[in-house]
Amino acid sequence: MTSLSIEVTDVYKKLGPNQALAGVTLCLEEGGLYGVIGPDGAGKTTLLRTIMGLFHPDEGRVAFRIENKAASFDQARPLIAYMPQQQSLYPDLSIKEHLEFFRDLYQISDDVYTARRQRLLRLTRLEKFEDRPAGQLSGGMYKKLGLMCALLQTPSALLLDEPTNGVDPISRREFWDLLYELRGEGILILMATAYMDEAERCGEVHLMEAGRIWTYGPPRTILEKEKARDFAELFVRRAEGSQGK
Amino acid sequence: MGWRFQRNKKYPIGGLRGPRRSAGRKIGEHAAGSGWFRIVPATDPDPFYLVRSGRADAVLVAPPGGLTWALSRGKGQAQLLVDATNAIKGRVIESYMNAILRRTIADENHNSETVPPSLSFDVRVLYNPTLQTSAYLVPGVMGLILCLVTILLASMSMARERELGTFETLLAAPVERWEIFLGKTLPFMILGMADVPLLVGLGVAGFHVPLRGPLWALFLAAGVFVGTTVCVGTLISTFAKNQQQAMMGGFSFSFRPSNYPGVMAPIENIPGPSPPFLGQPLRFFVSLTRQVMLKGTIGPFYWTNLGALAFLGMLGRQRQCPSVPANWRDPKEFAIKKISLAIIHIICYI
Repeated sequence: MTSLSIEVTDVYKKLGPNQALAGVTLCLEEGGLYGVIGPDGAGKTTLLRTIMGLFHPDEGRVAFRIENKAASFDQARPLIAYMPQQQSLYPDLSIKEHLEFFRDLYQISDDVYTARRQRLLRLTRLEKFEDRPAGQLSGGMYKKLGLMCALLQTPSALLLDEPTNGVDPISRREFWDLLYELRGEGILILMATAYMDEAERCGEVHLMEAGRIWTYGPPRTILEKEKARDFAELFVRRAEGSQGK
Repeated sequence: MGWRFQRNKKYPIGGLRGPRRSAGRKIGEHAAGSGWFRIVPATDPDPFYLVRSGRADAVLVAPPGGLTWALSRGKGQAQLLVDATNAIKGRVIESYMNAILRRTIADENHNSETVPPSLSFDVRVLYNPTLQTSAYLVPGVMGLILCLVTILLASMSMARERELGTFETLLAAPVERWEIFLGKTLPFMILGMADVPLLVGLGVAGFHVPLRGPLWALFLAAGVFVGTTVCVGTLISTFAKNQQQAMMGGFSFSFRPSNYPGVMAPIENIPGPSPPFLGQPLRFFVSLTRQVMLKGTIGPFYWTNLGALAFLGMLGRQRQCPSVPANWRDPKEFAIKKISLAIIHIICYI
């Protein structure tokens, strides 16, 4: 697999009157499982969209390195898969039709597609539901299909925007098992989530608030440093502290 | 010498050929004095060319030797050529010119209008001899159907992608913006173009509308028109937050111009100034269709209207594929789109 690392340096982005990103810096190395954790409106989605090239930063830069060599966004784009937060599938297309549509979109050859499709269907356990329209899938299945579509192109980096939002606990666990398997293959994973418990599953977390990353590091290290039992407590304490001021 | 008349001081309705300081001149003065016609010097000696090219809606051809000479001899035959592509307008011109001619001849004879005229008057109705209104209305309806189908489909399709959130996935995919734009518009252009032979066939077979011009000219006009309406549809979709808004936008764009003169009624009824190169896409296409189907000619009129249509299409094309995928819009891009749509609307409603 082609190695890809991403470096976000001091990125600012204003959306209308709101300063969505206010000097975000983070370094994402290949094979890492990174989490961007924060409450709603912290700027997680804007950060992912900026990395994906959907927003141009007002200040700062997003740099890519392919096989340890500096690369442009256009060179890196085919290696990045993105799963948006909003439902992003066609409700009237079946799982099979979705995979075929994304095969054409990513211009994947037939033999590569056949092998990858079988593997993804096995991983997600959606083989039995191939002909079911996306609109009739359960929340967990729907998210898995979204992930399948993103993974069809064998990316080197995977950007997931709140992928487990609204998914039941069992499906969430399956989803995480899938992510661990992908990380084992050397894929860089960056996941934005508002679920604090999910932060502890990441290799490194970046805690975000009001467009800024206020701390980052391995989950255990952060919790020990901040003397908190979990991230939910940490965010509640922080919110109460800012209200007190 | 030749004269040309226009109604409401804007559009050609009649023409006259005859010597200066003669009965012809008086007819011209009577016509202009009525307030319905405008006299413009004819640029071509061929009276048929004046009508065919759209420069005049009617031409009065004097008998050999001129009107004054014919009146002094007490016999002769004048001819009025009327463009009846619009049957209602043709009838109006015919009756007005009849009255003006009778009055002028009576004046010339120093007599009352009750005395039989010494000059016979032959009316020749061109392009639509039976004065069927369907010949005028069918091309208008054809244009309206094409306009509705393409604008609504294009605007709603793009709005649906935004609504579902799939547009973000498309923008994030390793494809170029122009590829997404082409993918979202080409199917509707093909659908629109597939409608053209059906509509023309129905008009010719079902409503007996003549098809005198070359088919390629009709298809070229339809191609440019469909391209323009699809562009306008996608431009509308960039303002729409959901499919309902896109649908209402498409309807308001299609139906308001359809009630405007030039589509279902004569364009001369527009009050105030109306520059000849401006107007909504539908008006240009319907004019082109009538020109090709009823008159069967391709000249400066055809190419001017085609150019105006293409210009509107280029305005509509203005950055329809946004880089911002969701519910937030880049102020600069949004401003550009707003200006483009405003220009199109201003042009359309002038």
